[in-house]
Amino acid sequence: MTFLKRVGEYVSDAFKAAKYIGQGMGVVFDHMNRRPVTVQYPFEKLIPSERFRGRIHFEFDKCIACEICVRVCPIDLPVVDWVYNTELKKKELYSYSIDFGVCIFCANCVEFCPTNCLSVTEDYELATYDRHELNYHQVALGRLPSKVTEDPMVTPLREFAYLPKGVIDPHDLPAGSQRAGKRPEEILAEMKAAKAAEETEEKVAKAAADT
Amino acid sequence: MTTAGIDLQHSFETALQNLGLSPGAAHALWVPLPMVLMVIAATLGVMVMTWLERKISAAAQQRIGPNMAGPHGVLIPIADGIKLLTKEDVLPSLADPVLFTLGPILVFLPVFLCYLVVPFGQNLLISNIAIGVLFLIATSSVQPIGLLMSGYGSNNKYSLLGGLRAAAQSISYELPLALSVLAVVLMSNGLDTVGIVEQQSGLGILSWNVWRQPIGFVIFLISALAETERIPFDLPEAEEELVAGYHTEYSGIKFALFYLGSYANLLLASLIAAVLYLGGWSFVVPVETIAAWIGIPLDNPFLQIAAAALGIVMTMVKAFIFVFLAILLRWTVPRVRIDQLLDLGWKFLLPVSFVNLLLTAALKLAFPSFFGG
Repeated sequence: MTFLKRVGEYVSDAFKAAKYIGQGMGVVFDHMNRRPVTVQYPFEKLIPSERFRGRIHFEFDKCIACEICVRVCPIDLPVVDWVYNTELKKKELYSYSIDFGVCIFCANCVEFCPTNCLSVTEDYELATYDRHELNYHQVALGRLPSKVTEDPMVTPLREFAYLPKGVIDPHDLPAGSQRAGKRPEEILAEMKAAKAAEETEEKVAKAAADT
Repeated sequence: MTTAGIDLQHSFETALQNLGLSPGAAHALWVPLPMVLMVIAATLGVMVMTWLERKISAAAQQRIGPNMAGPHGVLIPIADGIKLLTKEDVLPSLADPVLFTLGPILVFLPVFLCYLVVPFGQNLLISNIAIGVLFLIATSSVQPIGLLMSGYGSNNKYSLLGGLRAAAQSISYELPLALSVLAVVLMSNGLDTVGIVEQQSGLGILSWNVWRQPIGFVIFLISALAETERIPFDLPEAEEELVAGYHTEYSGIKFALFYLGSYANLLLASLIAAVLYLGGWSFVVPVETIAAWIGIPLDNPFLQIAAAALGIVMTMVKAFIFVFLAILLRWTVPRVRIDQLLDLGWKFLLPVSFVNLLLTAALKLAFPSFFGG
């Protein structure tokens, strides 16, 4: 009897295994008639998020050569070449360069720049044939970034978080469709309204307490 | 053969003789023709399969797959072939040059030899030998020797491990494969592939061997997957453990032989599965019945050509269902361990295939009309 029981268990195990493999194959088969999630890169590009930290932009005329950017940089990367002009009693900037082959794109320099002469762009296509070409001087750093949405060769696609609620395909979105959740401006307006309401409430309470 | 089908050989030879050639010369011109045709067809099949593999894999992973080389990337196999043929043929230092060269040839040749007995129609096969199925099994067991040779000759530990695994796997899965085929042979009272198909073509889809040999069918599929080293059983070339197994050191034309051989082997296994279990070239409804419905006599030449074309299409459709299944399975199941592999082969498939064989024999004695008398 125990032998028969064991055979029965063995057979039921085999059938269970076959059933699970069949279920798995069903899942894989189901994936075959879903639309590809890949972005066809040179023809389609994702729109970088507003917090994207790409290539650093630099404005030569705004720079006061304070070297804050060098001090806050984790690897002391920006090269600030200046000479103290005794007549003007000012630092005179000769050249400024950042090597993007070494930069880690933390944007600390941008965060701490006292004159806002540094900013982050959405440029990320920095590939070159020679790594020395990645060492950008002030002219290269001052070039305006290109925008994915303005390139006629490229179909811009929204990132996943920027799609309307329930939509997972960035292709052929209706015009004016908004992403899920509130926009930052709306949140700001709400916060302002809430604060104003709180203040009036406090005033009313104070007035009530005074009388 | 009977005169029921089209006799291409006869018409070809008479046509050449009418042009003024001697019967011997006409026959000599005929002999290489089907073989060349078969090799070209098999190579084309392999190209289609590599393209399908990429496209179906891409679809299973929600990608697009090759789409730049020609429409939908159909020229990708050609690009592959040109790349492999123009690459340098490297011979590793201290490798055995004879074994290293002989290995891929010994892996490649048996597969193409096996295509000799694969029927696409009543007369559409190269040679209808009486021991067709035995020939298939015997020829395909030459392969592990080639795998061992290339593994040993490469002077590489991964290659050696891969070669040994391939040999172990091939030998242990040949037994259940042969036993499951034997059950089919038992039912059709013969080893020739044409006879096996004819025995299944009486009632269309109802008389196919799948219904009478469900266990044997499953065993055959699993063992065929293991024999062709497809993914749940691709231990010999497990890239995470063994780099690329026995073809680690191969490049250029020798690697191309392995590549072609492995896909040709999968196509062969699918074709044999179609022939043994899914009624080969026979349509879902027998062609004779359809002809009777429409009222066309069986010896109508157009009907014969249509039937032959339908036979080829049916064989390919059935074979490519298995190819599709193999690719689908590739993205479903993970690779088994070597002990699990041998466990499945020796402790599960072998006893079950023995039981299947005995059951078939018993059923044949009990119901000779259903299980071939």
